[in-house]
Amino acid sequence: MRHLIALVASFACFSALGQEADDTVTIAFAAEATQVDPTRTMAGVDAYFMDLFFERLLSLDSDLQRINWLAESWTVVETSDGGENGVDVATAIDVTLRQGVKFHNGVELTADDIRFAYTRQSDPASGISSQVRYVSSVEVHDDYHLTMHLSQPDGSLITQNLELWAIPKSHYDEVGEAGVQAHPIGTGPWKFVSRKPRNELVVERFDDYWNQDALPGFKRLVIKIIPEDTTRVAAYKTGAVDWIDAVPPAQVEAFREIPNTHVTTLPAPNNLFLSLNEVDASSPFRDYRVRQAVAYGVDYDAIIKYILFGQGIRTAQIAPGGLGYDPDLKPYPYDPDKARALLKEAGYPAGLAVPCYNLTTPREPYIKEVGETIYAYLAEVGIRCRIVQLEYGAWITVGRHKTRPRMDGVNSTMWGQGLPGDPTTAWGGHLHTNGDGWGTYSYASDPELDAMIEQLRRLMDDDVRAVLIKKIARIKHARMTGGVPTYRPMLTFAWRDTIDFKPQPGAFWRSMRDIAPCPSRRCSSE
Amino acid sequence: MGRYIFNRSWQGLIAIIGALAIVFIAQRLSGDPVALLLPMDATEADFVAMRAKLGLDQPMVVQFWRFLQSAVVGDFGHSYMWNEPAMDLILDRLPATLELAFAGLVFAAALAVPLGVLSAVYQDSWIDRVAKVFAMLGQAVPNFWIGLLLILFFAVYLQWFPAFGRGTIMHLVLPAIALGWYPVAAMTRTLRSAMLEIMQSDYIRMARAVGLGQRSIIWKYALRNAAVPLVTMLGVYFAGMLGGAFVVEVVFAWPGVGRAVVEAVFARDFPVVQAGVVLSAVVFVVVNLLVDLSYGVIDPRIRHGR
Repeated sequence: MRHLIALVASFACFSALGQEADDTVTIAFAAEATQVDPTRTMAGVDAYFMDLFFERLLSLDSDLQRINWLAESWTVVETSDGGENGVDVATAIDVTLRQGVKFHNGVELTADDIRFAYTRQSDPASGISSQVRYVSSVEVHDDYHLTMHLSQPDGSLITQNLELWAIPKSHYDEVGEAGVQAHPIGTGPWKFVSRKPRNELVVERFDDYWNQDALPGFKRLVIKIIPEDTTRVAAYKTGAVDWIDAVPPAQVEAFREIPNTHVTTLPAPNNLFLSLNEVDASSPFRDYRVRQAVAYGVDYDAIIKYILFGQGIRTAQIAPGGLGYDPDLKPYPYDPDKARALLKEAGYPAGLAVPCYNLTTPREPYIKEVGETIYAYLAEVGIRCRIVQLEYGAWITVGRHKTRPRMDGVNSTMWGQGLPGDPTTAWGGHLHTNGDGWGTYSYASDPELDAMIEQLRRLMDDDVRAVLIKKIARIKHARMTGGVPTYRPMLTFAWRDTIDFKPQPGAFWRSMRDIAPCPSRRCSSE
Repeated sequence: MGRYIFNRSWQGLIAIIGALAIVFIAQRLSGDPVALLLPMDATEADFVAMRAKLGLDQPMVVQFWRFLQSAVVGDFGHSYMWNEPAMDLILDRLPATLELAFAGLVFAAALAVPLGVLSAVYQDSWIDRVAKVFAMLGQAVPNFWIGLLLILFFAVYLQWFPAFGRGTIMHLVLPAIALGWYPVAAMTRTLRSAMLEIMQSDYIRMARAVGLGQRSIIWKYALRNAAVPLVTMLGVYFAGMLGGAFVVEVVFAWPGVGRAVVEAVFARDFPVVQAGVVLSAVVFVVVNLLVDLSYGVIDPRIRHGR
């Protein structure tokens, strides 16, 4: 009887899982996009699905080098500022579009579609108008030529691949907002087939894709949404899925032992730091020596090794590979005696007590445990924490400097710098004192750095920007202002060797652009 | 009976409005949804525009009045996060949750009834003790842990059942066990004590005196009366499972209502939370009403007002 039950169960189980055709691959994401319109408010997870359907004018290759994508070429137009010194400033970006790019509905991409994307995104109701705040208009010259006019130079536009997405105006006109959400259409390598929110997304290869060299090898891709780590791992181990993201740090080493499995660990776009209240008159962190004590007082290397299982990169200010990374700028070493001495020097020989806000979101692995450990280290050197645990919604409210309750101590904070990494927007938000969308989460105030950050945003040349970033980083580091950097997390992906997959930076390494069944050209060459 | 249903319905309606008012106020005290929806470098203009778009720029009294006006015609607004009608979002997931809750309840009842009856009949024997330990295990161990163990053993090692998702009846087995094990202890204990009491009653002694068989006495006469409190528990647990299956839904990636509502709470997605609360409140009220009415079916003395 027992064997009969087992037999029936096994049969039903395998029937349920289904025997997949070779041209279909089933994968699992830990989270999913909340919406699929790139011109509307975008949570970080929205990029996971956006990258399947939509593309921008520029892109990054697998080595994180910027390449032309839907733009065949582009140039920054500089005009004399009219002053005595005749300094040239960027006033526009001319873009020539690639010809023959088709949307999934067969309509060809033209400059009008890009202007339409700008119109939608620049509307404050989009929620993301801040990202094009210095683009005053988009002028269309003909089907393949357009100019983005700038109200002031904005280097972030280049970091963000010229920001604008290719969306089909005709489709939006035809089906409206709800229709777009129900059936997104873009120029990307995958076409929408069906979606069951919180369950799965099914997409199909777009065979008319303009870049035939980047056409995925599978005909169909099924993305399962499995938020629970153990379940996602079980889904991989049982063969229900063949690729998973966000392998839990504690299980990365065990995954490396699984036969016929590739495991890759890559830097995440996020940057973590401790925000300190440096502005309130009553705050001890107004004194740079107390801030330095925080930096000296915690053994971040041990935290990365023992709590994150090595899945983190120690940062001084900028992570390796990021724009303006300075290998000579070293993190503060763990030196509890020095931390105590600095506190004493600052007038706190008996230490001090502050509220310490701890973020507990599942968005970042083990961030709660890391925060608790940091606060325990701080107690050892005399900074006694009254820990306040905050879920993401409460944390983001506390972190905004204009809201109440006020962040009146230490806050474990994160602010993504993207891939390969550019601190301009993040520093504008947590280092700059205040401004138009700047300093929103800042508890720092340094007029010298404010001016430098504003200058940084106006620079359009990456080489020049890198020099200024290094300069800002050194000052920030010495004064330990705008937050104490802790680490940049790592992301681990695993997939079966029946799949030829090469991680691409789109969707934070979840881009499904380069995926094919093995044996493929690349598998056979290995 | 008609008057009774009418009165209970009114009370239920007041309970639903009360629940809504509490949720409406509590949510707005818990944080700003706009800060969650906008990127961290959003401008003040973005904040103002988003507040206006969502109607959050109005005084709270105005917001509540507008919400009640819309809610009575079934319009709970659009989800901030998912940009689709909030009630549709909840109702889309309701079949999955009903399916899971029903399966969990069937599992619980299928275990609790025989365990409860046998514990009473074989009071203080090894059967009683084993039943107690087995039932307590479900209550003592958190259901997420049971869920993970079930996945590891039955999905990863034995590969009998799928580890996640919804689809066939096989997908239902493990989450139903994880969800249904918890109430087994309480149901078993309740049924056991009811059975013990009833087995001492006059009509059971009478049944024995007239020569009815033990099996017939237990399953036909004693269980029927002992089942009244059990039915109450089934109703309460069923309603609780509809709203409280969140943990099991997350562990098994089950696309249900509980998961949607809890995620909405964390995202400050007010319309979805409100729609979910209304649905839960309605289900609670209706299930409780049905349970009350079912007493009359089980016990004719109640039906006839004796």
